[in-house]
Amino acid sequence: MTPPLSAPSGKAAAKSPLRVALVEDQRDTRESWRRLISSFPDFTCVCACATAEEALQTLPGTKPDVILMDIFLPRMSGIECTSRLKAVLPKTPIVMLTASDEDEMVFLALKSGANGYLLKRTKPAEMRAALLEVMSGGAPMTSEIARQVIESFHAKVTGRSESLSLTAREEETLVMLTKGYSNKEIADRQSVSIETVRTHLKNIYEKMHVRSRTEAVANYMSGGKE
Amino acid sequence: MKWPAVYFMIGLLGLACSLCALAQSEPSGPVTNQPFSQDLAGKLNPTWGVGSWIWAAETHDKQTVHLWRSFAIPQGTTVAKANLRITVDNAYKLFLDGRELGMGSDWRSLTEYDISQILDSGRHVLAVDAFNDNREAGLLFGLRIELTDGRVMTISSDSNWRIVPNDELGWQRRQEALENWVRATVVSEFLPRPNAKYAKEKEFDRKPTMIVKVPVLRPVAVKFWQRGWFQISLLSVAVAAVLTSFQLLARLAVQSKAQALLNRERARIARDIHDEVGARLTELALEGEVMQTELSAESDLRPQLNALCEKARAMSGAMDEVVWAVNSQRDTLRDFATYACKYARRFVAATPIRCRLDVADNLPDAVFELPVRRSLLLAVKEAINNAVKYSAADRLFLRIHVQGRVVLVVVEDNGKGFDLAQADPLRNGLNNMKQRMREFGGRCRILTKPGAGCRVEFEVPWSKTSRRPAATSSLAEGPAGSGNGSAGDSPALPEVKEAANS
Repeated sequence: MTPPLSAPSGKAAAKSPLRVALVEDQRDTRESWRRLISSFPDFTCVCACATAEEALQTLPGTKPDVILMDIFLPRMSGIECTSRLKAVLPKTPIVMLTASDEDEMVFLALKSGANGYLLKRTKPAEMRAALLEVMSGGAPMTSEIARQVIESFHAKVTGRSESLSLTAREEETLVMLTKGYSNKEIADRQSVSIETVRTHLKNIYEKMHVRSRTEAVANYMSGGKE
Repeated sequence: MKWPAVYFMIGLLGLACSLCALAQSEPSGPVTNQPFSQDLAGKLNPTWGVGSWIWAAETHDKQTVHLWRSFAIPQGTTVAKANLRITVDNAYKLFLDGRELGMGSDWRSLTEYDISQILDSGRHVLAVDAFNDNREAGLLFGLRIELTDGRVMTISSDSNWRIVPNDELGWQRRQEALENWVRATVVSEFLPRPNAKYAKEKEFDRKPTMIVKVPVLRPVAVKFWQRGWFQISLLSVAVAAVLTSFQLLARLAVQSKAQALLNRERARIARDIHDEVGARLTELALEGEVMQTELSAESDLRPQLNALCEKARAMSGAMDEVVWAVNSQRDTLRDFATYACKYARRFVAATPIRCRLDVADNLPDAVFELPVRRSLLLAVKEAINNAVKYSAADRLFLRIHVQGRVVLVVVEDNGKGFDLAQADPLRNGLNNMKQRMREFGGRCRILTKPGAGCRVEFEVPWSKTSRRPAATSSLAEGPAGSGNGSAGDSPALPEVKEAANS
């Protein structure tokens, strides 16, 4: 089942390897991840931080291509760290690592600017595919997360600017996700390429992040009443 | 053990009060056994049987005067006959012991009341609520009581009556006069004259012209619920009931506290399993993967190591499910739906079947207790497993809806279907599902025909407060209560393994 991991996968090998940064507090796990990532020929682990504070210090200088972030970190959480890193490195995709897929946590992470999430027990091959998917657009979204995203967009109609609400296509994509369609199936139904679906997802993630930021600012401006 | 004692005391108190009330209902108080005093032997006019005209010290128009008199009939005697005559210029209302006997508004007619049947030995109170419309005013009264022993008592309108201030409440049944109840004034003797209308002294010549007899007054039948002893007993029962409910409330509070504690404990256990076991297993798998990458591609150990990693991952997944089942924070119907959808998608992802989810938007966030939730999940998993293994379908539908008090979960495929009658021995999974549903009053229906797909419907009774205590007890009972639970748990693990392997 598992494709040979060390085999170079065509086009990716031709480019310079993807520079991955890792934030994980458990020493053993961190070390394992580092070695695993480095074992992919098209990936290289440029930085492995043990805490959110360390990540905030190092990563802006390192400028990795993608960041893998543990959700639970001592002191500052991975979610907060993500939101702060996004302010400095807005273009760098951040993928959350979670031990179990608790939707509340994942949803919070996505709102704080994460571009996707991976279960820690994901098979290395799948993980690699997921990382590549994130790099090419939005990470796959589960039906439950899609439902929460729709709800969060419907919750407040304050949308001061049009760019902060979903387009018809984006909403359609989300609704299909809640019904269990895969990205591929959505692409087929909408007669678009799977890349277009990923772009929709990427834009949805982006809007969600911007929305939650504006909401936070709005709450702050209104005296933090909410 | 404290409470029964308290109830006993209350009961005792109630009983004592009832007895007091019973005693009170027997007229008591200072009763003279001696022959009638001078006062009581009021002089009655031999013809008309009344005393003098009496009134308050002052007379004015539109005046209300309360006149009061008490008397005692010696204990041990019986009333043979008692006739009472009364009139007031201009109107009156007459009370005996607080009971209204009658009223009148024509002073020219003297009314006679036969109170033989309602007068017994003991102290009695006469009260007259009198009204003067204009000019002269007065009460004319006479009571003649014949006792069975031959003695005769008379009470007439004289200065032994008292004038009660108008603002006094309950004066009609008061047995003792108060200090400020002044004596009535005799405004005129009762001196009927044959030629009254020619008399000079106009105000003294009033006399009734006739006597009107009213039917004999009978004792008022007091219904048992109007009696003091009954009311007090009722009150004590009510007090006891209130206290009982307080006690039950307190017990409930303790219980819900225990429930909250249990929920916290469950959340903690879930967290611990997750952190200590699940996370370690994930690490194990990760380290295995790292070791694999560092082995040469031809190494024999590689497939074995890979199998080891798969196992660790599958266990970690199974652990997640246990955590989900135990975690009290996942007790809602919404969580159930989320989990079932995730499971279906993950299970089907590795197959050519496409999974469609149809979950109601309005799933309530209310409690969906552990045993039901777990059994339902196991049954749903079985149905999905069957569909994937046997149906050869290319679509699988998972629908979750709430219809009134029922949660409806449907697993549907568009596969080849089967003949239910013949399939039974082959697929004991079907019986399994039905059995699981029956355990908590649910229902499982299988609708299928060869070539027409298969639809499995699960119906689970559900309400906002549905059997929360039952869930508690089966959890609280621990090993004894979990016989059910462990039986339900064991199939969960192999099934997850299956999911990971396929």
